[in-house]
Amino acid sequence: MSKLRRREALWFYLFASPWIIGFVVFLLGPMIASIYISLTDWDSFTPPKFVGLENYTRLLTEDPVFWKALWNTFFYAAISVPLGLGIGLWLANLLNKQVRLRKVFRTLIYLPTLVPLVATAMIFKMVLAPSGPLNDVLGVFSIPGPSWLLESIWVKPALILLSVWGAGGATVLLLAAMKGIPRELYEAAEVDGAGPFRQFWSITFPQLTPIIFFNLIMGLIGAFQVFSQVYILTKGGPDNASQMMVPLLFNEAFSFYHMGYASALSWLLFAVILVFTLLAFRTARRWVFYETEVK
Amino acid sequence: MATVISAAAPPQQEPEPGPERTPSRDRVMGVFRATPFTYATLIIVSAVLCVPLVFVVSIALSSDQTVNANTFTILPREFHWDNFTRVFSTDLPMQRFLLNSVIISTGAVIGQVLSSGLVGYAFARLRAPGKNALFIIVLATMMIPAQITMIPQFILFKELGWVNTFLPLIVPNFFSNAFNVFLVRQFVSRLPSEIDEAAMVDGLGFFGIYRRIMLPMLSPVLIAIGIFTLTATWGDFMGPLIYLNDETKMPLALGVQYITSTSQALQAPPWNLVMVGSILLTLPMILVYYLGQRYLYEMDISGGSAGVK
Repeated sequence: MSKLRRREALWFYLFASPWIIGFVVFLLGPMIASIYISLTDWDSFTPPKFVGLENYTRLLTEDPVFWKALWNTFFYAAISVPLGLGIGLWLANLLNKQVRLRKVFRTLIYLPTLVPLVATAMIFKMVLAPSGPLNDVLGVFSIPGPSWLLESIWVKPALILLSVWGAGGATVLLLAAMKGIPRELYEAAEVDGAGPFRQFWSITFPQLTPIIFFNLIMGLIGAFQVFSQVYILTKGGPDNASQMMVPLLFNEAFSFYHMGYASALSWLLFAVILVFTLLAFRTARRWVFYETEVK
Repeated sequence: MATVISAAAPPQQEPEPGPERTPSRDRVMGVFRATPFTYATLIIVSAVLCVPLVFVVSIALSSDQTVNANTFTILPREFHWDNFTRVFSTDLPMQRFLLNSVIISTGAVIGQVLSSGLVGYAFARLRAPGKNALFIIVLATMMIPAQITMIPQFILFKELGWVNTFLPLIVPNFFSNAFNVFLVRQFVSRLPSEIDEAAMVDGLGFFGIYRRIMLPMLSPVLIAIGIFTLTATWGDFMGPLIYLNDETKMPLALGVQYITSTSQALQAPPWNLVMVGSILLTLPMILVYYLGQRYLYEMDISGGSAGVK
């Protein structure tokens, strides 16, 4: 290697050192430690006791709360993410028409996504109160509103409602993508006599599928890690009806100091996220449209 | 893809799909024709989405009596603007929370901007053995959920005596993160390499090229990274919840929740002041988005959800 190349390599490692050091200290090291901790019984104060795979088997076979949390998280992710994207797509399609005041509508729809999660949780605590505004509105139509966060059947729909409030994020993104769809496609379809509905399903939607797919994946990964709103609004209650994976993990680790058990839980969470991501990729071939495949 | 993004950038003029391209109104194509139904739907949806925000303002402007009696309405009926000054003068350490948020967020933003630029530039331009393997690791780390490293990191910071300080929330940012490195690398890769080659011929060293040539050109991506980091840190709840237990150290996001959770069982939380806190938490985000949106859209976030939460 020439002297210059050696110097360049040296500078590369110097410049990249923040990431390399961070990777070793904050990621690789902790990951290895986490594997070991997950095989022990440890309260972080006394020396850890090696127990092999006991934490994993206990989680999978003896802990009913784990399965409940897994189911709840799955339920939450499987509904909130597609629902949010669906509403986003619907609103983006409306805004893509020749609407007056488009910017005003877009801003109003996007505004909720700028509210930090803690503030959102505070807002929904008031909105979803048994005598809050949502139930007042339902009362106008003589529908007796449930006490959302306090009832086991309604607490998950309530959390889904909170997440769907942020559908403006997907709206803005999909609207931007819709603007990039070549108009010739629509013009050709118009000539062929396709109506607006047909044009949406045969042009707009297929053209957007790569972006929808990407956001579906990112959304699912995020939804599986839902924490703040559950912790603030329900603490997993009532009767674990809204207990989810990360709040459960947090409690085990930082309320009960079951560091081994919580670490095992974190690896199971990783496994679950991985499985669902791979499943989503498996389905992608059937519905995600990539321009390059045609050309 | 650049056209897509610029089309969405609010400050620039939007190419309206209608008038300029289609000379007469009746030639607007079916799909793009807005019907009264379109307007009705948009008005109803915007109103429904904004009602919670109006409600927050209404509660924030309510008197203590109204709050205690639970009689607030969606549209504000009373205007106690003094609530906004009261949060800074009562025994609620709101100004402390706010200051803590500013300190933590500033530290985190400085850390990410300084480190991501350097690392991203190195991955984009400098040649070194093992670089490609390292970059694959960078990409792979994006898949690891933070929960895996949460407990060992906590133990590490506890051993360092950093619990109940801002350090665990600030210091890791000085080591950049995979997503930001990736953003900078992609950005630098699109800049013509003749620029730094010319600078090299002129005798600038690698650091000189970075400092004098690259850094000024990187400002859009670094501003975008600053905005992402600020938004994430300002609203972060779990980090402060794990590391900070002293009331005077809490940032606003944790402090607002703390006020509601520590009120005595008999005494309801001061909801009007909590909502003032929520507004204080939200306003900077709206301001940052408003000022920074053109940088966010300038970044080619083609397939991504990077620009928006």
